[in-house]
Amino acid sequence: MKRLVTVACLILGVSIGAAGQEGGSSSLTEVFEGANVAASRGDHASAVSGYGMLVDAGVRDPDVFYNLGTAFAQSGDYPRAILNYERALELRPNDDATEENLRMAERRLEEGRAEAEGEATIQRRSSIGDAIFGSLTEDALAYALLLANLCFFVCLAWAWTSRAWSGGLIAAFVAAGLILAFSALGIGVKAGTFRDGPRAIALDDRVVLLEGPDEQAQMRGEARGGDRCEVIGADRDFVKLRVVSGLEGWVPAAAVGLVDLDEGLH
Amino acid sequence: MRAVAALMMIAAMAFGWPARGLAEPEVDVTLDASPTEARVGEMMRLEVRVRVKGGSIEQLQLEDLQKYPELEIISHQTVRPMQVSFGFGSGVQVESSLGHVYVLRATAPGEYAFSPAVAKVDGRTYQSQPLTLHVRAGAGMKATPSPATMAPNDQGEADLSGAQYDERAFLRTVVEPQRAYVGQQVNVTIYLYTRLRLGPQSVAPGKPAMDGFWVYDDPITNLQAQSATVAGARYQVYALHRSVAFPQRTGELTIGAPSVTFDVGGASFFDAPQRIQREGVPVTIDVEALPTPVPANAVVGSYDIQMWIDRAAVATGDAVTLRVDATGVGNVQDLRIDLPPMVGVRALQPAIRDQQRLTGGKLSGTRSWEWILIAEAPGEHQVPPLAIHYFDPAEGQYGAAIAPSVSFTASGAARTPQPAVEPATPRPKPDGAAFGPISVYSALRRGEVPVRSRGWFGWLLAFPPFAFGLLALALSVVRRREQRSATSGAVQRELVRSARTALESDDPRTFYDRIVSAITHAIDASLGEPVGALPHVELRTRLGRAGFDDDLVDRVINELEGADFARFAASGVNQDEMQRCLQRTAAIIERVQRAKVSP
Repeated sequence: MKRLVTVACLILGVSIGAAGQEGGSSSLTEVFEGANVAASRGDHASAVSGYGMLVDAGVRDPDVFYNLGTAFAQSGDYPRAILNYERALELRPNDDATEENLRMAERRLEEGRAEAEGEATIQRRSSIGDAIFGSLTEDALAYALLLANLCFFVCLAWAWTSRAWSGGLIAAFVAAGLILAFSALGIGVKAGTFRDGPRAIALDDRVVLLEGPDEQAQMRGEARGGDRCEVIGADRDFVKLRVVSGLEGWVPAAAVGLVDLDEGLH
Repeated sequence: MRAVAALMMIAAMAFGWPARGLAEPEVDVTLDASPTEARVGEMMRLEVRVRVKGGSIEQLQLEDLQKYPELEIISHQTVRPMQVSFGFGSGVQVESSLGHVYVLRATAPGEYAFSPAVAKVDGRTYQSQPLTLHVRAGAGMKATPSPATMAPNDQGEADLSGAQYDERAFLRTVVEPQRAYVGQQVNVTIYLYTRLRLGPQSVAPGKPAMDGFWVYDDPITNLQAQSATVAGARYQVYALHRSVAFPQRTGELTIGAPSVTFDVGGASFFDAPQRIQREGVPVTIDVEALPTPVPANAVVGSYDIQMWIDRAAVATGDAVTLRVDATGVGNVQDLRIDLPPMVGVRALQPAIRDQQRLTGGKLSGTRSWEWILIAEAPGEHQVPPLAIHYFDPAEGQYGAAIAPSVSFTASGAARTPQPAVEPATPRPKPDGAAFGPISVYSALRRGEVPVRSRGWFGWLLAFPPFAFGLLALALSVVRRREQRSATSGAVQRELVRSARTALESDDPRTFYDRIVSAITHAIDASLGEPVGALPHVELRTRLGRAGFDDDLVDRVINELEGADFARFAASGVNQDEMQRCLQRTAAIIERVQRAKVSP
């Protein structure tokens, strides 16, 4: 409902703006095309603003996230570029252009930091689950689960009625069972069942991890821009982060971005 | 002689068992205590016993013991002697008894009424007399009000701040001190006060929330009980959780309510285990800022500082390692040192290591910093003195630990840094143009609900197993019916075959007996209930109600009546009649099997 209201307001605002502005946008498509024009002109701020408007309006499209990531990367804001490339890959795994740009943004971030500080590391999380299921979308796994579930029980019913287990039937039964288990596990991984919280990325160059949800709390450590982390708690305008090294601390919510915008805290 | 004795023994047992089986067992159930009146803290011996002659004891219960946690069980002994005697008059006599002896210690005054102990012997129940124990207040102890009317803050001897009183068990949070400075150590201990007999292995404490604190836990690996008196009652007190906490901001900070679960009872047959859960109360402490003026990076505690450098002379462009160790009492993680900029020297980010330990309830430790200092210019480079300012709450004043300056010398001409390995091709200068190209087309999809969260997904997922379950159920019913039908058909065929054999051997009595059995079995199988005992009039009604057509009912009844008559007048029956009867029976059975029966 909120999303609908946001979209309606956006369209209304754009329509009103069109009356006073020559060449104003009047639809999401025109906002997208306007942002593309700005990006091609090198006006990264306008491009970021345009793509961001679409995201605020509830658009969850990999192309929009990819373009937003590229606009951030071209303006030198690599942590936000990494965040949006991750979002694009979440929606469309195995996209070569996105993966290449993500790697390049990480490399640029490391190079810049190493030049300034002598060394640089970006903390990346790579679990077995991500490695196995990273190339599959959650919806694909859900459809596979339905199909395997159907095949599994059809095989079982067939064997039950005919009272005969032929070689082919056994093979189909085992294959359906394996796919069933694989896709169920994959959905669990994608849905974050095995994580303590939503995936996030540190956006500021230095994100100070505090002892408590208070700006005056003592520093416990820090995360660097582009570091992968999990949001494991929230309190007012603060979220509790766990970085890859296991360090935990409270940071202002604006200092991190959620990879899955619609994922709530566990 | 031995053989005679053995025979006598066997005879005695042979005559004795029936006598025993008929005899009523003699049962005596007792419930006694010694003494029945005592003071708080004194011991009492409670004994419940059943003695049986000529019977076997199945159960002996004293249910009220677990009602009174105030009666602490010091020891419990089970006594089960058995005596067997032989006699010619009454056979084997077995005398057995079962007893439980408890040594109790009363921890609170009152009257403890026990309902009769119950013994079960050979399936019958026997009871003892009831018993009441009187416990008076101990010598010198003031009389305490009833726990039900006792105010939580009127707890007599013990200080119970940080607790919510409960007459059986409660948690208490002890915080010391209750006013502290930011960064000052606060000791937090959670105690369990209990009058219940808990199993230490079952105790599962829950840590309180301590937001706003930096916490160092002092794990308790072995529960040790101490005694404390609260409102005249003795409690066992266990320290469940101990930690030192350092407030990180000013204001009121709250230590959340602790919780614990543990099992009580289970020590004896009569004492069923019970899971107990308790929650404490939150405790608030006031946290103040350090007294002004506050020196830079001041912390609470007491520290020493040392600083040294690994090499006194290096070539220009090379690095030295500067190491600083700060050791003392307090939370070393609060320590900050800002290395001032040095001309001609570039300092990389320091590596920081901490070692902490809890000694005598005080947290102490060492924080080590290691800076890599790169000499970018020749000459003598001096690291200025570094200081740590600390505040001692006991003395109420600031102190400082200062490390004297150290220096090193860089020699040789300054050189531009070169990469260790020259890249084969020059790396392009990072620029934004390398990213992209942007996507000019987008479906502009909105945030869609994932397939797994859509309503139909669950139904589709559940449908195959549900349908399979229904199919399996239906199949098993059909198969069971088929199996039953096949079994009854086989029986009927066997009966008809047996009748044919009797026909061939000219045995009319057996023949008609088999005919009756075959028809009756066919009807049994069809109706799913036995009809052999029904008179023919009732059978006619039952068949009619079941939906058999009238012609079939008439045929069945006629055939059964004819067969019954022929069985008892077998001499007047000839082979032809028997042959026709066999054919009629086969036809009747076939029609019965085909008939559609309503339940």
